[in-house]
Amino acid sequence: MTTKLFGEPVRRREDARLITGRGRYLDDIGAGALAAAFVRSPHAHARITDVDVEGALDVEGLVAIYTYEDLTGPMAEPLPVLIPHPQLHAPRTGHPLADGVVNHVGEPVVMVVATDRYVAEDAAERIVVSYEELPVVVGIDTARAAESCVHPDVPDNVAARHHQETGDVEPALAASPHTLTFTQTIERSACTPLEGKGVHARWDPDDGSLRVYSSTQASTSVRAAIAAKLELSLDRVEVIAPDVGGGFGVKIVHPWPEELLVPMAAMRLGREVKWAEDRREHFVSSAHERGQRQQVTVGFDDDGRLTALDVHVWHDNGAYTPYGIIVPIITATQLVGPYVIPVYRVVVESLYTNTVIVTPYRGAGRPQGCFAMERTMDRIADSLGLDRAEVRRRNLITPDQFPYDHHLTFQDGRPVVYDSGDYPGLLEKLTALVGWESVEERRAEATGRGKLLGAGMALYVEGTGPGPYEGGHVQVLGSGKVLVSTGLTSQGQGHETVFAQIVASELGVPMEDVEVHTGDTRRFGYAVGTFASRAAVMSGNAVALAARGVREKALRIAAEVLEADPSDLEIDEGLVQVKGTPGASIPLRTVAVLSNPLRYAFDEAAKQATQFATHDDTKPPVAPGDAPGLEHRDYYSPLRSTFASGAHAAVVEIDPQTWEIDVVQYAVVHDCGNVVNPMIVEGQVHGGVAQGVGGALYERMAYDADGQLQNASFMDFLVPYASEVPDVVIDHQQTPSPLNPLGIKGAGEAGVIPGSAALASAIEDAVGRRVAAMPISPSELYDLVRDDTAERTAASARRTGATA
Amino acid sequence: MNLDGSAVLHGSQDDVWRVLTDPEVLARTIPGCLSLSRVGEDSYRVDVAVGVGAVKGTYAGEVRLSDQQPPRSYVMHASGAGAPGNVRATVTIELTPSDEGTTTLTYSADAVVGGPVAGVGQRMITGVAKRMAGQFFTAVDAELTGAAAPRPSAAAVSSTDAAAPAPAAAPVPAPQVSTGTAAAAPSSDLRTLAVGAAGGAGLTLLGVVVGWLLGRRRD
Repeated sequence: MTTKLFGEPVRRREDARLITGRGRYLDDIGAGALAAAFVRSPHAHARITDVDVEGALDVEGLVAIYTYEDLTGPMAEPLPVLIPHPQLHAPRTGHPLADGVVNHVGEPVVMVVATDRYVAEDAAERIVVSYEELPVVVGIDTARAAESCVHPDVPDNVAARHHQETGDVEPALAASPHTLTFTQTIERSACTPLEGKGVHARWDPDDGSLRVYSSTQASTSVRAAIAAKLELSLDRVEVIAPDVGGGFGVKIVHPWPEELLVPMAAMRLGREVKWAEDRREHFVSSAHERGQRQQVTVGFDDDGRLTALDVHVWHDNGAYTPYGIIVPIITATQLVGPYVIPVYRVVVESLYTNTVIVTPYRGAGRPQGCFAMERTMDRIADSLGLDRAEVRRRNLITPDQFPYDHHLTFQDGRPVVYDSGDYPGLLEKLTALVGWESVEERRAEATGRGKLLGAGMALYVEGTGPGPYEGGHVQVLGSGKVLVSTGLTSQGQGHETVFAQIVASELGVPMEDVEVHTGDTRRFGYAVGTFASRAAVMSGNAVALAARGVREKALRIAAEVLEADPSDLEIDEGLVQVKGTPGASIPLRTVAVLSNPLRYAFDEAAKQATQFATHDDTKPPVAPGDAPGLEHRDYYSPLRSTFASGAHAAVVEIDPQTWEIDVVQYAVVHDCGNVVNPMIVEGQVHGGVAQGVGGALYERMAYDADGQLQNASFMDFLVPYASEVPDVVIDHQQTPSPLNPLGIKGAGEAGVIPGSAALASAIEDAVGRRVAAMPISPSELYDLVRDDTAERTAASARRTGATA
Repeated sequence: MNLDGSAVLHGSQDDVWRVLTDPEVLARTIPGCLSLSRVGEDSYRVDVAVGVGAVKGTYAGEVRLSDQQPPRSYVMHASGAGAPGNVRATVTIELTPSDEGTTTLTYSADAVVGGPVAGVGQRMITGVAKRMAGQFFTAVDAELTGAAAPRPSAAAVSSTDAAAPAPAAAPVPAPQVSTGTAAAAPSSDLRTLAVGAAGGAGLTLLGVVVGWLLGRRRD
């Protein structure tokens, strides 16, 4: 068959459009719309005492100025706690516009609408907001000390205390031959998609309908939120995610204040209104992630096998908790990785600070969990004088242990039961791929060149494709075009390509005939969203099921025409044919025409379906239970998440003059079950590794003690350029998921997860000093090696001793 | 909704009453006043151009006075409508003399705002209203103290009882209306004066009323 496209490295069909300027992003929409700009808080914590707009009134082109006092009904209430959880005992959310108090720099206070963005910014600049400053809480230490608090009714700054345990950890630790206790920190970072958020709204007062474009990862839920907040019937609201220039998690949060305020203004003014976030706004008013302190106590035996693990995490959730405790839960449950942990206890305290909210960023708490677990493995190896790969190997869950139940509850409320995997296989491939056995030779060679070389590795298991569901709709038109629609959104992942591959394969049509639509509530109203590496798993399976439904109907109709049994038919290249009987065939497009009995022949094709062309008087034209048209809608709802896995290894060379860290080799073994398109999976891995390197070496949010973000621009917030991203070598392993029809697992976030852990391990291996805080810059590394009190690794001492 | 405000004017109660009911003075002092005409017994029509932001536009106002008790109080029934929206209000105005020779003007109003202008945000409306009221009372006070330089009114003031030509084509003035007059209104349109043009003051007060109303909407 020539149409079997599943598993092929098909080129991304969206790229020609996206890279030649023919994408349609939010700011390409509504050129004549009024523009919104926001006056945002310059203070991290303050009471608003006055808003004086007098100075703005003379700005020609000013249209409207809104403050909290203009919000009515549900709009005046706090923004929703999107994902409530019993352990989130003190959820707090902001308002679309600040209600008397601001809790972080960047919180919106005043919305200005004007004829264009320049005018709106000019007017916003002239509005004087007076504040009475309040004590500021920045950083985990200050939040824990709780000398002052973010929310007056949460005096200890603790929003949630997430707690899971699989047994009695204290006696298990007491009985362990060895224990280690250590503390680690990981800095804040942010998604920083190239396209920030953006919203465009158009209100039609005649039919009372609202169309909203938003650069979102969840158009159906944005729609529901807008309908609820603006008190509109759901059927009067359409939300469309146009081309979206990256999301990485930040755009799954909703409704953003602007997603409500822009439609509100459009309704009140009867004009199109648009807002496109600028870069500084994105830094100070979207979302961050990652910031955690971890205290780990591990018990292990003489062979390095874990006996017990006790982890306490302090998680900085920023000023509000609109996305619940998803990140803490993921850290807590994904920390266990590919290992057998006889007794595990984890407590995550989620803390309020006067900083931007913390919500999932690609990896979503997993990089931190991986950092805790993998660095634990490194420390066990170091303390026992064992090879780091060997210690890992001894603790891995083995292939015969699946399904493997960790007795934990995942972020979707379902059990953490690993569906399939081959972790020893990953490790074996990884050590071969990176040349783990030859690291000492390379170290010696690098030393000869005056460089410090080190290698590190990290393994992870990633729960992907959580429910509750996604749906798909497949329709064959009389022209032969196959329309595929799913409700979740795309941010550049290649959905147009992979969903087309899946449907083309399932249906037996050329991929060119397949047209994919995502994230448009007009086309598909039921969806959850694009996050947690779930699009391929959820919508991939949903469109496959929908295509199978279409195929079944097509074969039934064709069987009547061809006077054959449906089981004797196949579809290939858009032609339904009797297997092994050349010539006995009918084009699928003709089947589509016949599927819809007609009275009127509006074109040549339609003539075939009119009432005098079809002659079975024994049945009504549309049989009971049947429906006109060759289309099918289906849903995929999984029992629980499917667990992908992978292993990364990094080799770094450090210049002892500049302490510049050069990642000279980066190896990835990746297992996401059956692969729909290996080229796209590799692209996802490459992008993830780039962000992993960024998180390990560059990205941080430099808040000062007053809560001012000092690096809120791409001048000061470093991201890796092509020059800093290492060449990535990838090996694939495929252990299909038994949970879904296509046997696939998610791949979107994988690449980023082990970055900080693997690179910390490699840097530590190179310099012989314990690396317990990431990211690490050359100057921090310089300070670390010069610090006499910095902990030396035992491996380093052994090496030094050996060479002395 | 009930709301109120006040202004201290430098003149006796009688002087303030006289000024506030002198259409020529009002035509000069009402910010953006384009025309003023009597349309019936104690009923007036006023056209005012507001030159600020989204409130910008020409408002046609109808004002009727009742319960006049010179020089102490009257009640004004005002409505204003223009492309940006409409306002309807009942305003009680009282003049109270003080020992220092000044008069305190107190107004108390009940008002309803509608149309697009209601959607531009209360601080915007309040800001415009405060500015216009400030300009108006400053100009009235200048008339009372003689500080106002003699100058012709820029507004068209009609004495005809029948429908005066509506200044439909009145140009929109520049945003800065520091003199409290519609700078762009052609002076050749000057007409003889009508009696009792307190409606103009009423329309300016409408700005205050609107601001108040929106400002208190959530209370």
